Amino acid sequence: MKHAPRFRGAPAIAAARVSERGMGVTALHHRGGPGLVRALHGEWTKLRTLPSTGWLLLGLVASTVGLGAVTTWSIPTDCLDPDLGCREDLARVNLTGVYLAQIAVVVLAALAVTAEYGTQTIRVTLTAEPRRGLVFVAKAIVVTALVAGAGTVGVLGALAAGRPILSGNGFTTAAGYPPLSLGDEPTLRAAGGTVLYLLLVGLLSLGIGMSLRHTPAVLATVLSALFVWPIAASLLSGEWAARVMKYAPMNAGLAIQATERLDDLLIGPWQGLGVLAAYAAGTLLTGAVVFSLRDA
Amino acid sequence: MSARDGFGQVLRGEWTKLVTVRSTVWCLFLTVGLTILLSIIGAQGSSTNVGDNAERLLEDRFHFMHQPLDGDGTITARVVRQEDTGDWAKAGIMIKQSTEPRTPYVAMLVTPGHGVRFQADFSTDVAAGAGGTPAWLRLTRSGTTITGFTSPDGAAWRQVGTAELAGLPRTAEVGMFAATPASGTRVIRRGGSTTSSPDYEPSTATFDSVRLAPAAGGPAGAWQSDAIGGGVEFADGTTLVGEASESGGVFTVTGTGDIREVPFTERGDDDIVRNALGGVYLGMIAAAVLGVLYVTSEYKTGMIRTTLTASPRRGRVLVAKALLLGTVTFACGLVASLASLLGARPIQRDRGFVPPFYPDPSLTSGTVLRAVFGTAAFLALMALLGLGLGAVIRRTAGAVVAVLALAVVPGIASSLLPVEGEKWLQRLTPLAGLAMQQTRERWDNWVSPWPGFAVACAYVALALAAAVLLIRRRDTA
Repeated sequence: MKHAPRFRGAPAIAAARVSERGMGVTALHHRGGPGLVRALHGEWTKLRTLPSTGWLLLGLVASTVGLGAVTTWSIPTDCLDPDLGCREDLARVNLTGVYLAQIAVVVLAALAVTAEYGTQTIRVTLTAEPRRGLVFVAKAIVVTALVAGAGTVGVLGALAAGRPILSGNGFTTAAGYPPLSLGDEPTLRAAGGTVLYLLLVGLLSLGIGMSLRHTPAVLATVLSALFVWPIAASLLSGEWAARVMKYAPMNAGLAIQATERLDDLLIGPWQGLGVLAAYAAGTLLTGAVVFSLRDA
Repeated sequence: MSARDGFGQVLRGEWTKLVTVRSTVWCLFLTVGLTILLSIIGAQGSSTNVGDNAERLLEDRFHFMHQPLDGDGTITARVVRQEDTGDWAKAGIMIKQSTEPRTPYVAMLVTPGHGVRFQADFSTDVAAGAGGTPAWLRLTRSGTTITGFTSPDGAAWRQVGTAELAGLPRTAEVGMFAATPASGTRVIRRGGSTTSSPDYEPSTATFDSVRLAPAAGGPAGAWQSDAIGGGVEFADGTTLVGEASESGGVFTVTGTGDIREVPFTERGDDDIVRNALGGVYLGMIAAAVLGVLYVTSEYKTGMIRTTLTASPRRGRVLVAKALLLGTVTFACGLVASLASLLGARPIQRDRGFVPPFYPDPSLTSGTVLRAVFGTAAFLALMALLGLGLGAVIRRTAGAVVAVLALAVVPGIASSLLPVEGEKWLQRLTPLAGLAMQQTRERWDNWVSPWPGFAVACAYVALALAAAVLLIRRRDTA
């Protein structure tokens, strides 16, 4: 990681670059460029020049593929015995890497907001573009685009890495497990849903980032919201445990990965993703309101 | 060295920072508050119906090589050898009302760990002194009274105990038996679902010199082999049924199970102390963030340069930070864990966790104290892990993510791995330190308390050592 002692790190560099572009912004305005395009350009530049962004995207892809490969390799082969009458959910296990990858998404989205507050670049941003709604939308679009791109690469990589591992361990068409393919509707839903899940987690983090503004507070809040509920559910019994597992953001959202025994799920794949989308919408809305009302 | 340069001065400076920086004070408050809050919520959401059935619960499962005995009589046998599958594995002779489980019985038996014993009707248990195999055993029936004897040589007999079985029919079943209690838990994870069942290792015993008086009417083939209470069925669908055979006067009996009244405290399997302290999963996040902020906020504001100018021996600054942070978090953690335990207990009682099934935890019990202090110590360790990683990484975001990825995520992702994978992940991550909260045997105790605590300590030691090394060698950014 590069260090720029006097400016205390890269957000300050981003700030400098944005202010360099101050004149360019005016020029663009005169050329009649639409506001959103300019805002997007500014947000893209800020996020691109944070040194952490590249590492986080790399981490997102690497953990999706790497952890996915390890867990795929470790799937027990007991269920290959047809007498036992069980089936492994290969697509879901293949996409386990998302548990780690979502951390990179949370940090990326949080830093897209909090880094600006940490360095006060936000004031420059809002001076250059006083329409706060536009800034907010631009941030959301840039974060979503980056996560979608890296998430798709990671998911495709995990599927590609998983195929030879699975056939090597005996999960073959002959054994009733055709290779994972996006041509199968359930696999496509699991793979596409995983990318959507990562997007929604990014938006959730962005929304909370807008409300709380401090990096550690945002990270601790979002990561607790994602990871603590499943542990808490293990303390509860019966009905309450089921309720928590049904509506906790991570458990609900990742129901989209299921391709086997959908009847056993506490919440259906799309309904689960819908629950996460509702959380994301709620935090985004809160974030947007707070962002437009509060002093920067 | 002037007084201002002393370690006390460094400590004082670090103390001032700890208690005056708003975010660290908040984190301490949250560590305590969130721990108690989640513990109480957890207690509210838990429930059990174990108290619905207050009757005695009898376990009666063993393998029996038997034949009917009409009226009074005596059975004598020598246990030649018994496989040691646990202290309470049982092999011996028995007179039982019928082959129906949970019917009255009297037995003389030998165990690998508790010597020769006389047991009757799920309640009487008389020790006949130490001594393993070979052991001579004898039971004599006279009316409804049955007396047990043992002998070192088959000649001189000593009475061990006597029992009255009211209502014993004229014809009772008599013979040799073998049993062994569950040796652990078999956990199966297949197709994404986890099931568990007691695991048994069958125990085989051999008998000879079997004499029945009056002698049985029929031929030697009159002996019948029966699995009393049925075989054992495991979570993976396999079953284990005992067996018995006779060859040239030598009887071999293999059996699993136990013959006893299940104590009330074993009827439910919840660890109520561990559950009452469950809020630590939320508190540990605040503690870890506290540790991170205690050092990264100095890097963020540039304060670290002032700190290190005032006290150029950098290692000592970190040691002072670690000492203070550890002590303060431990003290706050102790408040949190005591409050959680005491606050959750009345709620647990309302939710069905009542004595005698779940006796109130006593603060004088060693395991309960270990859980309470262990929870506080775990919170302190999490704060120190945050401190170490914070000093190594120097960025708040990076350090928070690193400490949470290390301490929290494995606990969740592990449920997707095969059971072996989960076991090792739980043993080898800092979360192993929470093993200190165990106060009873459970199938998901993957690591014992102190070794688990040592694992967590090792992570902290590594992180702090790396931090001390790096802070001495690196420029202050």
